[in-house]
Formats: sequence, structure tokens, C-alpha cells
Amino acid sequence: MPPLSPTRSAAVEEIRRELAGKHGAAFWRSLEELLEQPQGLQRLRQAVPQVAALDPVLDRRSFLGLLGASLALGGLAGCSGPPPEQIVPWVRSPPGLRASEPELYATTLQIGAEVIGVLVQTYEGRPTKIEGNPAHPASLGSTDAMTQAAVLELWDPDRSQAPVQHGSVASWDDFQAQAAASARQFAHDGRGLHVLSGRIESPSLAAQREALLHRYPGARWHQYEAIDDDNAREGALLAFGSPLRVRHRFDRAAVIVSLEADFLGSMPGHVRAARDFAAKRRPAGSPATMSRLYVVEATMSLTGTNADHRWPLRATDISALAHALATRLGVVLPSDSPGSAQNGTDHRDATRLQALVGDLQDHRGASLVIAGETQPPLVHALAILMNQILGNIGTTVEYFESPEPREGSAASLRALSESMAAGEVDTLWILDGNPVYSAPADLHFAARLASVRHTVHVGLFRDETAARCAWHLPRSHSLESWSDLRTYDGTASIVQPVISPLYDVRSLHEILALLLGSSPTDGRSIVRATWSGRLGLHDEQAWESVLREGVIRDSAPAALGARAELRALPPDIRTRAQGSLDLLFRPDPTVWDGRYANNGWLQELPKVVSQLTWGNAAWLSPALATRQSLANGDVIELRSQGRSLQAPVWIVPGQADETVVVSLGYGRTVLGHVGERLGYDANRVRSASAPWQAQCTMAPTGHHLELVTTQRHHVMQAEVPVRTGTLAQFRANPAFMQADSSTPPSLYPQRPAGEYRWGMSIDLNSCIGCGACTLACQAENNIPVVGAEEVARGRELHWIRVDRYFQGTPARPHVHHQPVPCMHCEHAPCELVCPVGATVHDSEGLNVQVYNRCIGTRFCSNNCPYKVRRFNFLQYADLRSPTLAARRNPEVSVRNRGVMEKCTYCIQRIEVAHIEADRGMRRIGDGEVVTACQAACPAKAITFGDTADPAAAVSREKASSRNYLLLEDLNTRPQTSYLGSLRNPHPELQDDT
Amino acid sequence: MSATARRLGAGLEAVTDPVTAIVLERPAGRGWLFAFVAAVVLTALLGSGIWVLLVRGVGIWGIDIPVAWGFAITDYVWWIGIGMAGTFISAALYLTRQSWRNSLNRYAEAMTVFAVSVSGLFPVLHLGRPWFFYWLAPYPNRMGLWPQWRSSLLWDFFAITAYLLVSILYFYVGLLPDLATLRDRARTRGRQVFYGLLALGWRGEARHWQRFETLSLVLAALAVPLVFSVHSMVALDFSEGLLPGWHTTLFPPFFVAGALFSGFAMVLVLGIPLRQHYRLQAFITEAHLDKLARLLLAVGLLVDYSYLCEVFFAFYGGDRYEIALTLNRLGGAYAWVFWTTIACNVLAIQLLWLPRVRANHAALFTIALLVVIGMWFERFMLIVTSLYRSFLPSSWGMFYPTLWDLGFLVGSIGLFFLLFLLFVRLLPAVSMFELRRGVSEGAERRS
Repeated sequence: MPPLSPTRSAAVEEIRRELAGKHGAAFWRSLEELLEQPQGLQRLRQAVPQVAALDPVLDRRSFLGLLGASLALGGLAGCSGPPPEQIVPWVRSPPGLRASEPELYATTLQIGAEVIGVLVQTYEGRPTKIEGNPAHPASLGSTDAMTQAAVLELWDPDRSQAPVQHGSVASWDDFQAQAAASARQFAHDGRGLHVLSGRIESPSLAAQREALLHRYPGARWHQYEAIDDDNAREGALLAFGSPLRVRHRFDRAAVIVSLEADFLGSMPGHVRAARDFAAKRRPAGSPATMSRLYVVEATMSLTGTNADHRWPLRATDISALAHALATRLGVVLPSDSPGSAQNGTDHRDATRLQALVGDLQDHRGASLVIAGETQPPLVHALAILMNQILGNIGTTVEYFESPEPREGSAASLRALSESMAAGEVDTLWILDGNPVYSAPADLHFAARLASVRHTVHVGLFRDETAARCAWHLPRSHSLESWSDLRTYDGTASIVQPVISPLYDVRSLHEILALLLGSSPTDGRSIVRATWSGRLGLHDEQAWESVLREGVIRDSAPAALGARAELRALPPDIRTRAQGSLDLLFRPDPTVWDGRYANNGWLQELPKVVSQLTWGNAAWLSPALATRQSLANGDVIELRSQGRSLQAPVWIVPGQADETVVVSLGYGRTVLGHVGERLGYDANRVRSASAPWQAQCTMAPTGHHLELVTTQRHHVMQAEVPVRTGTLAQFRANPAFMQADSSTPPSLYPQRPAGEYRWGMSIDLNSCIGCGACTLACQAENNIPVVGAEEVARGRELHWIRVDRYFQGTPARPHVHHQPVPCMHCEHAPCELVCPVGATVHDSEGLNVQVYNRCIGTRFCSNNCPYKVRRFNFLQYADLRSPTLAARRNPEVSVRNRGVMEKCTYCIQRIEVAHIEADRGMRRIGDGEVVTACQAACPAKAITFGDTADPAAAVSREKASSRNYLLLEDLNTRPQTSYLGSLRNPHPELQDDT
Repeated sequence: MSATARRLGAGLEAVTDPVTAIVLERPAGRGWLFAFVAAVVLTALLGSGIWVLLVRGVGIWGIDIPVAWGFAITDYVWWIGIGMAGTFISAALYLTRQSWRNSLNRYAEAMTVFAVSVSGLFPVLHLGRPWFFYWLAPYPNRMGLWPQWRSSLLWDFFAITAYLLVSILYFYVGLLPDLATLRDRARTRGRQVFYGLLALGWRGEARHWQRFETLSLVLAALAVPLVFSVHSMVALDFSEGLLPGWHTTLFPPFFVAGALFSGFAMVLVLGIPLRQHYRLQAFITEAHLDKLARLLLAVGLLVDYSYLCEVFFAFYGGDRYEIALTLNRLGGAYAWVFWTTIACNVLAIQLLWLPRVRANHAALFTIALLVVIGMWFERFMLIVTSLYRSFLPSSWGMFYPTLWDLGFLVGSIGLFFLLFLLFVRLLPAVSMFELRRGVSEGAERRS
């Protein structure tokens, strides 16, 4: 609870005196008398603003009830005994709502840079789990980890719950008065009114922006995202003369060249990209073919870990490489181009370039060159030109016009900052963002904000910006509000609430309507009005079908047939000072730009590549760390443009030398219980002019920090866990991976006695290592967050982990990802050693953990060769926070301390299928049971089903010649098996492998 | 009274007087009080540790995944090993008619009972939910649930329970004649009642003696196989697992030898100060210490042979996990534990080849203490180094003990000494009736 303001506590005190000593009916009577008094309501308004605001909406009786409850919570002598009203239990549920069964609602979420359509699972109206919406183009039924965690954000007990004025709780009425005053003040032309929002992905928000700028022509609307696509837009502007947006078709691309583009990890549309990319990675046809991915990047990205050829290159050298590549492909460039001087290309680079050019030219129309957001506009323009000359435009890549107005983040925020410095900003509305934290340091945003007279912040949390604004208005969560969003390819969909707001909060649209004084004022009407042209204002059928499907069909803008051409090259501003290092900024793979920092699930999810949790580090290449004698956890000081930052070191194989990588999103100071005071704030050395690359120097400080990781060893001792090979090997002998595998004989029964035999197959060739499975499992199975200290002790509870192995040299490693759930061994070592039979085998091949019976000897974990068992060393499940309890999946028991737990193959979902099948007197069909990890997996690497049915998808997967069992020689006979991973290197670049 | 009889009477009194004096006449003394207070403090530490453990959970220790067993199981195996020597000395040597054992068996048996009691705490406390430890027992219940018979932990539970019961019985039965002596010699009413109740009406009749001898024989015959079974079962707790470093047929004999080794060492560690402080040199003689030292050396060599076998079989078997484990033990993060073990259990005991060292009490005490410490490290090594790096490199981890880990270890030592100090003051530390029989048999032989 926020502290009470002095006037408010005085009001409460006064009422407390009047009601003192009154209980039960007398209490209620006194309350009623109080209301009768002149100024009574006014006093109550002061004391309990949230409730008083509801006065006109509620009938008198409910109002009194709420008021009494609020006063009781505020510390007054409250109710004792039952209320005098007759209360009636809910004997018959409303039609259509069955208490025990979940309902799915389609909606859309904006997660990081991604807009993704989802289905929200609710039990009795409580959202518990998020699945992808199969109808939505950005999802196709899958999600990423951050999307999975949105449901925890909804239930976060630290969310902001009421409007706050100057640090004390206020009412929406008070704010309405303030908004009316603003409206009067700016009635003339709106000069001095500035609005700062995030990137506008919502057509309704765009419409409201139009309305605002129409009404207040002098007002300015800024957009800022700490992680935006400025460079791509400017690149398109260079090439097309218009800021076109791009959408890639990875399912059509046989050869992909990524110039630092992390299209699998952080680019918009990455969930869909993973699906399309993985589909092309499955060796198909005869002779077998699969796509080939070249990645040139300075630091290891998720995409880089999946490359066939990955060339570490300093970020500043990539434009030169792009230039050379474009030239060789035949792109005509202005002669004075800066990158044309190919200094220092050795023989190896020339061979590579040669092979790359040949490969691209062999796949005209089926190749793809992508530039990453972190690369300058020139590289984006060059990528467009290369795609054009390769005939890829229209096949693997399309360009279209953004229907919503976009502004470059850096320029837009700089303009605002300069206006603030010039004293031109009288009123600033910050619509959902946290610029005080996320603005680059050179804009001095926080300091300049102090000079603005009226400041209003809208957000989910009372964060750094809220603390510095006069007003903070709590925004409703996306799962509580109406809106609309447009995804990476331009397809629009509706955001519908799946639960009424938990607190006294309003959606962004409603708050804007309040500020504008416009009508309609409720979110649903605002959104419907936006789509009245397309869906009709009264066509309920069309509206409902859009809501049900979760996507507005054919709303994506058509691809344009524009022709790209480069008339003049922009000057290459990136100069490298002698002896300095490249300082690169990257979004954090789990907390993004810091907005998810209070999300325990995301904090505890091991970050791609580094496997760090609960913090960030400065990444160094092994060579650089060795030269500077730095080890993991040593704190260094980074200096860049007169600003400095202290950060612990994390050594990352495969990173370009002379490069330091810092990640955004940490070092939050005002947030909540989970996310404050973790890691360092990279924004302190970031500048708006060069948000992704800068130069820096580095000095050791002599301090050391223990970083929290879930995996301390990354080198495979012999190729035991992950079997790999090349496509060429596979073509020569498809079963080459099974050469030395054989299951030893056994006297025990070979297979379970039951009708079904559940099994899982994980295709390591498809798996991109994103970690969505881990989080989906956490959400589905009520897995608690244990915190940094416990993770440091090695006590994380994830039921499915994604192991990361590096192979080859530290400078150019190959990376392998391996998701490891419980193997459900047919001859399980854990079952043998439990003295009380708490882990037993069932008739369908499942290895079942009986929590009630477990006494916690932990012998099963010791004896598990896969180490997939997890133990509740302490009371990890939070039994106290009511909102976290409401989030839980009611189908899965909550484990208390002292009990072992592990992956169950989502037995609750198997049981649901059993019940359905029994009702229909039939067998469970193939694909009827989908585990949480399988559902979430963007790459569809996980297949689950009944292996007793030879026609089942899982049986077909297991019949593959790449199929193998993990640690087969131990004779545990796992039901989970793997398909080995293949790489498809260029035949002429064998020395790369 | 004949001269022989007088001499015999004097000889018998020479046994009875000093031993009963420790219990009945001597004041507690500053040394004892100091040790007692220290033991009480450490026991209180253990008590508070148990309280915190029950309130918060086993997470107060440093255990994790993959090292899910740490100090608690190490302490358990260590204590139960220490307990073994007492039973061995009193029962096995009794059955083989080694009468020199008579002056050692009483305090060695007491040591066994206390060590096994202390060790029994750990398997219960180490459970995630210790209050359900009785689910290991096969008792009929409404749920129709029985223990899981294939698990060695279950059989270990039976083995410890049986061992503890038989040890206590054997100890108590052996005490009866001496308790009667104390009853007869006690001067205060309270002591007369106390020892009288404990003596169960022993009057030294021929019938008593005859039944006593039979019962002793039966209990000894029961105790000896139990000694071997309990340590074999402890070993199976590990070798049932499929982990490299645990999964070996060598373990049962290896654990029996290890237990004897630490037990003999503890007998020396307790005996040398005991005889010094209470002037029992006449009973626990130089020859006894020499025999114990030789036994310690002999069993130590057996243990060392097992170490050699473990290393040899890892390479001889050619299993890559076994080899990796062995190399890890010799040179990994916990190599210092391995080399400490070697220094204590292999190198230090070689000095016992020299008669001079065996005759030097300080040296003998130090070596025995080193062996006790070394055996703790050996158990720690066997448990932790097998767990911290198993099959998949991704799940390799480390074990870092917490202060509570150390607290439980130190506290259990405190509890053991608390019990032992009380024993010294309340019960005869030397078996009087057996020594008296030795005296009279000697007199008979001479006459």
C-alpha cells in the first residue's frame, strides 16, 4: 500500500474517531449517518478515494458495503460477524461456465518488439496460462518465453494499484479534474503539450494520436523504445526513399545470410521465423536437403548459435563486409563508397566471400540477406539491394508501408529532451514507458524532466519515471483491457480482456480518452470505433468472429513492388580510435529493456548463450579476457564518452575480439520486490546518437561478483550428450549417428503393460535453444521461482532445461542446444532406490512422482544420470501471496518443502485426454495430448504421443535414422529420445567446421 | 583365610576399588567439568540446529542438485563406522576367547552405543520431511502401502535399527554384574536405588551366572554378523546407485574395513586420555595399546588396499565415466580431500610399523586422531566427488558447506562426548567382573 497523504490520513483519523467503538449493525448505521451529514461524502472522498469514485455507479447498498470494507482495511474498527445482508452462495453456475474446465480466449500481446496472438487459458475467470494462437501469423500456435511470462506479470503483487499524485494515493476523479484543467489550458492550440508513448503498434492508439494532434495542433507526440528499428527504417529510406517495413519468408529461403540479424531471438516476428526456419532445417527429399545459414556477427546471438557458418567479426567491420559482398553480387554502388577499401582481408576471408557469393547466386529467389537492427542504415540498404539483385524481393522478402505512423526513437526522444531543456514543455504525458530509466544517458532525461510543470506517467508499475512525475496512473494489463495491435507482417488483431481489472486501473486508450475529454470513454467502444469501417459498428457477428479467431483476416498491407536504388552513400560515421574496444549494446533475452525486470520467471530463466540468471554481465571474448587476465565475475570499469560503468565479466566463446557487450534491462532502482538492484544499468553509458555501438576503454577494478548461472560446464567430454554431423555425412549414410549405439540386454519387462506408451522425441536439428519450453513448463506446472541465492546454490526447479554445449575452439565454437526433460526411463534408476515407493512406474510407461509419499531422501536425484529431478530444499512455493495463488494451474498440485519433483510429461493433460476418450468410448487420438513444452516450442522440435501406435507422429519421429537415446549404454531405456543435429556447411568451406 | 585366598582377595579389590572409585568416590574434577560444559554447549548447538532444520528445511545445508547428499550422510557413515570397533572388540574377540579384550570392551561398547545413536540421527534429519521417517517401517496401514523393498535405504534402516537394539542389549547385559557391584558399594540411598534398579536384582548366584553366560554368548553371536551386515548395508546405499564411484562390488568389504579402521582409531583416541586421567594403566596396559595399534595398522592396510583397487579397477575396467571420476578425485576440485585422506589413512599409519611409535602415547593418539579425521574425509570424498560430476557435463555442480553443515558435525561430536562423559561418571568404564575373573583364573593357575 502506498503511504497515505497527510490530508488523507487526517480524514481517516476523523472518521475513525466517529466510528470508534461501533461494531456490527451499529457500525453500518454510523456509516450511513456519516453519509447523511453535510460534507459527509466529501470527507469520505478524501479518506477513501478509490471507493468514493464509484459512488454514481453503484447502488447505495453495495456502495456502503465497499466503503465499510475499505475503511476496515484502512485500519478502522471494522466488521465483526456476518454482514446484515442476506448472502447467497453460487449454487448454479451461469450457463457456459464449468468450474473445473478451462476456457480459452484469443487475444494479442505486445511483448518486447513482438506482437503475438495468443490464447489465454482461464479457470473460473482466472488467467493461468498462455498458449500461442494457431490462427495468428506471428504465432502459429507457438510462443516465446517472454510471452509465457505475461500471465505472471498480470498477477504480480507489485503492480501499481491506484492513481498516485505526488507520492500519495489519489482518485481518478482528482485526475479527471486535473485533465479538465489541462484541456482548458491547451484549448487554444496545445503548444507546450507533449506526449511520449512507446512504438505505436495499435491502430486505435494511432487514431487517438490523430485526434489529439487534430485537437491540439501545437502539441507534439514522441515515440521512444529503448530497442527500436530506427536503422532498418532509415535503411529503407536510403534504398526506397520511403520508410518501408520488411517481412521475411524464411520458409522459402534456402540460403540465409544474416549480418548481425538475430531473427530467431529478438527481431519482431521471431517466433514465426523460428517455425519457418526450423521447417527448412529438417533434411527432406532425396538427396536430403536443408537450408544453410551464414551468420556474421560480433557477439553470439541465438541466431548465431544455429548457424552453419558463423564468422565472428567486429561490429564496425560488418559494413565493409556487406559492401564487399554487395559489390561482388553486382550491386552498383556510388564510387565514393567508404567501405570499398578492403583493407586487411586475408586469403581466408576471400575464400569465404567467394563461397558466399557463389551460394547466393546459386539460389536466386530462394536466398535471403538480412541486416540486424544493430547495424547502421547503410547495411540495411545494402541488404535490400542484395535481395533485389538476387531476385528475392517478392519471394523471400517483402516490403510494405506501415499503416501506423512511425518515428525514429532516438530522434524523437532527443527532440523531446531538447524541448524540455529549452523550457518549451509545459505538460508531458508519458504513456506507458519508463524513459527516466531507459533513456540514453546523453539526453539527461531525468534532470530535464524536473523542469516540466505538469507530468503524468501511465504504467503498470510505480517505476523510476513514476517516482519523478507529479501524477502516476496505473495502466491495466493487456489481459485486462481492450486494444488492437498490428504484428510484424502488418496483420491486425484485437486485444480483448480476459479478466476484469484486478485493481483500480484503466487502459491506455481510456486514459487518453480521459485526457482528451472525448467519447466514447470505455476501451471496448474506442477499439470498436477504430474498426467500425471494416467490421461495422453494429455487425456483432463479424466482431465476435474476429474476437473468437483472434485475428482480423487480410488486414496486412499488401507488399509493394518498389524498386530500390542507392544514389549516395551516407558517410560512415563509425570511426575507431586506436586502442579502444567496441562497446555493443544488446537487449536482454529475458527482461528485454527492463520492462520485465519484476518478473521472477524471466529473471530465473537462463539467458540464451550465457545461461546467466538474475543479472547481466559484460561479455568478453576468451582472448580478450585472457590478455587482461580477467575471469568470470571480475568487475571491470567501462569508460565511454566520458561516462563510466562497472560491470562483472562473463567470458563468451565466439565473440569478436576487442569487443565488450553489455545488455540493457538491469540496474533498475524503483520497481518491486523482484527486480530492483539486480545487475548494472547499461543506459548509463549509452548515447542516443549511437545506441548500439560505441567505443570504450576497460580497466579492472579488483572487485569480484559471483554471477548466478545454471550451467557451469559447457564442454562436452566426447560427443555423448549431443550427436551431430553434417548433411554430407547424412547423405552418405543416414544412420551414421546410430553407429555405436545399442541398448544392453535386460531381464526386466521391455515395455509397459498398459494400452498406451507415452514417449517424446526432441529434434535437436529443429531446436533453436530459445528456452520457451522451460517457461511454458514453469507456468503449466506451478513451478516456483527460487531466487538468485538458491540458483547460485544449484537449486533451480525447472523441469525442462536447455543445456548448452560449446564445441571446437573458444574463438569459433559450434553451439549445441539440448532440452532435457525427464527421460521417463522404462528401467528407471530413480524408482529402484526410493525406500518408500514415492517414484513409481505406471502402466503407460510414465515415471510418476508421488508428492504425498515422498519423504525426501534425494537418493533418486543422486541416481538419476540425467539430473532432471528437482528438490524443494526450502519452502519455495509462495503460499502467502493471494494473486500468485490465483495464477496457478488448478490441475497441478503445489509442492511444499522436502519433496522431490520433476517433469511429469504433463500428466494432467494426459488425464484430460483419457477422460475425453473414455467418454467417447475410443482410444486417445494422435496429437490429442500436447505437453506444455511442445505447445510452446516455436520450432516444433518436440513431439509427444503414444509410441505404442506406430502411426503416431512421435513413432514416426523415433523411426528416423537420426534417433538416439541419451546415455543409452546405461540401459535406462528412456521414453524421451533425441534426433541428432545436422549442420550444412558449404562444401568449399570445410576448414570452417 | 588361606594366603592364596588373601592374595586373591587383594587382587580382586585391586580391580574393584579403583574402578568403582571413579563412579562412587572421586569428585568430578576440573578436567571432566570443563569437558562436560564444552560438550553441553556443542550439544545445544546441535539442538538449535535441529530446530532450525525442522522449521526451515534441509536447504539450510549446502546440498544442491547434483550433490544432494553432503555432510549429513558423511557424518552418518562416519559415526556408524566409529561404532563398529566396540562391537567387534567385545563380541568377536569374546567369541574367539581373546581375554585381553576384557579391559577394553566396556568403554568400547559404550562408544558403539553412543556412536550408533548419534549416527542414527542423521538419516532421519537429512530427510526432506523428517517427521515421516517412520514410513520406512513396514507397518500395516489403511492406504495399504508398504516400503519399496528393492531400495537399499530401506534395508539400511532395518540394519541400523537391529544393530542399535542389539548393541544396547549387549552393552546392558554385560553391565549387570558390575551394576550389582556398584549397588553393593554405593553409600548413599539414591545411588543404591539407582544402581539397584539397573542391576535387575543381580545377586551373583550360579543360576544368574549360567544364564548370563548363555545370553552373552547368544548376543555376541548375533552382534558379530550384524556388524558386518550393517556396514555392508551402508555400503549398498551407495553401490546400488549407478554412479561411477558408487557402483562397485568392492564397497561392502571396503566399508567394513573402513569402519573397523575408524573404530579402532576412536578406541585409541578415547582410551589413551581415559587411562591417563583416571589412572587405569593397570587395566589398559601398554600391551593393550600395542595390540590396538597393530590392529589399526592391519585394518588400515586393508583399507589402503581398497583404495588401490578402486583406482586400479577404474582403469582396468576401461569405463570412461569411471576413469573420468578417478582422475577427478585425484586432480579435480576436491583433490585436496582425496590427498588429505591419503595422508591420514595411508601415510600416517605407516609409522605404526615402528615399535617406538606404538609405545609413544602422544604419537599413537595423534595418529589415531588423524585416522578418525581421515576417515571423515574419505566418506566425504566418496559421496561428494561421485556426485558433483556425473554423466552430463551440463549438470555438473559443486558442493559448498554452510555453517549449519559444520554446526551439525561439531554438534554431533558434542553429543557423543556428552554421552561418553556421563558414561564415565555413572557406569564402570572397565569391566570389573571379567577382570576379576582373570585375576582369579590367574591365581588358580599359579596355585
